[in-house]
Amino acid sequence: MIESFVDSWEIFCFSHLTGWVTAVLLALVGVYVVARDQIFVGAAVSQASTLGIAVALALAGWGVVPEHVAPWDTLPAILAVVFSVLAALFSGREGGLGGESHEAVSGWVFLATASLSVLLMAHSPHGLEEIHKLLFSSIIVVRELDFWIVTGLTVGTIALLILYGRPLLLFTMDPAMAAAVGMCTGRWSVLASAWLGLTLGITLKLSGLLYSFGCLVLPALIARHLVREMRSMYLVSPLVALLTAVAGFVIANHQDYPPGQLTVALFAALLGILWTLRKLLSRVTS
Amino acid sequence: MSTVLEAQGLSIGFAKQEVLRDVNLRVSEGDYWFLLGPNGCGKTSFLRTLLGELVPRSGALILDRERTRRDRIGFVPQRSNVSSTLPTTVREFVSLGSVGIPMTARQRGERLRWALERVNLSGFERRSFDALSGGQRQRALVARALVRRPAFLIADEPTVGLDLPSTEALLDSLSHLNREDGLTILFVTHHLRLARRFGTHFALFDHGLVVAGSADKVLSAENLARAYDLPLEVFQNDSFESQGGLGEGSGP
Repeated sequence: MIESFVDSWEIFCFSHLTGWVTAVLLALVGVYVVARDQIFVGAAVSQASTLGIAVALALAGWGVVPEHVAPWDTLPAILAVVFSVLAALFSGREGGLGGESHEAVSGWVFLATASLSVLLMAHSPHGLEEIHKLLFSSIIVVRELDFWIVTGLTVGTIALLILYGRPLLLFTMDPAMAAAVGMCTGRWSVLASAWLGLTLGITLKLSGLLYSFGCLVLPALIARHLVREMRSMYLVSPLVALLTAVAGFVIANHQDYPPGQLTVALFAALLGILWTLRKLLSRVTS
Repeated sequence: MSTVLEAQGLSIGFAKQEVLRDVNLRVSEGDYWFLLGPNGCGKTSFLRTLLGELVPRSGALILDRERTRRDRIGFVPQRSNVSSTLPTTVREFVSLGSVGIPMTARQRGERLRWALERVNLSGFERRSFDALSGGQRQRALVARALVRRPAFLIADEPTVGLDLPSTEALLDSLSHLNREDGLTILFVTHHLRLARRFGTHFALFDHGLVVAGSADKVLSAENLARAYDLPLEVFQNDSFESQGGLGEGSGP
């Protein structure tokens, strides 16, 4: 199994590396999403990013912008980031919107952007295929530049966590107390949402919705069962993501399965096992 | 004693609704104030104004710059907002109270030990916060405020949901801090009898107005009856009597 994976390394090394670094990056950002109980915000932001790509493809299809001509070839990536940042700011704002809960606003964003993405591409077979690929997470071709962008974003995220980890932890766990100690919680909320949008906007174009959303929430949910303190989640969540993604990619390569889907399936299986063990443990102790 | 804060003709409100008007009170260093009054009478709004979360409509709020610096104010909310699904220990929960105060890990550890000792939670550092009893959680909330080594402590009904012995133990811990460390305290509660026993000063929030001062001036039967719309009386020998069927220590 390992041998066949090593043989494929030369061709797919940047795809594999990008997939793994993406898993680590999203697992770090996912700790915030899971701790704030905004899991569905992650799904909505991922879907909004897909709409950004659909808009870029539609603009090219209508001849508004030339296709595959610099700088227009980067338009899908740019619009993916713009739409996801806007969706994150819209869905993640403090106190929801118009008295609605985060879930209600996120659900609206998810459904509106999902339906619009398909409607925009309905008469473009090529575009519709692109959207389907994004939804089903087929990590096949990434450029070396993509790898370095994701790596840069990961290093930046780790640096921010080192510098502002404690205030972020307080804001994540108890925003009311954060406000009482003088933190500007509104600004923190906007910055965290913007960072979530930026991360998902960049990674979704490379790895698709299923893999991005899976790496965002599942490793953090797994880590929550393995640690005793919130701050440890920032270590355990990316570690779980990395180890599972490496295992997923190796097995997928050997069994000829799509690596993104297999990794997400492994995350889901791990979480299911943890839930079962916890249930059994609580029965034994009671 | 030097003044920590002074409200002069202070008016507080939201949009078109006036919550408090013409509030006049002076809090001096080492005072133990109890803020009393029925629900919805503006106690929390007053505290939010002190914390800078609400801007007064009119009047003056004079704060001693040194004693009311953000890093010298400790705030204890009614209850913890930390979700029970999040893993956290007493150590992590309490030490997060020192966010915004530059200090080394060693200093943070020392403050944590000191704060836990003050609320009788020494040895609970590694205990899961979720596994604590209601009274222990409230004491952990107080420790989270104390870890800032505040000169001024603001507590917004942290005794809600606690039984009488736990409430008494919490107030007693704070009384020690008030007497021994000179901590200035502003405490919101519905426990009239306990307030009378531990407090040095009182503010009774009464239909948009505030009567402030000593027990004799504030806790008169007439003032209490007007504020709570019930015939109430707090006697000096620590007993509390209600002629209107109000239970011990509970608010209307």
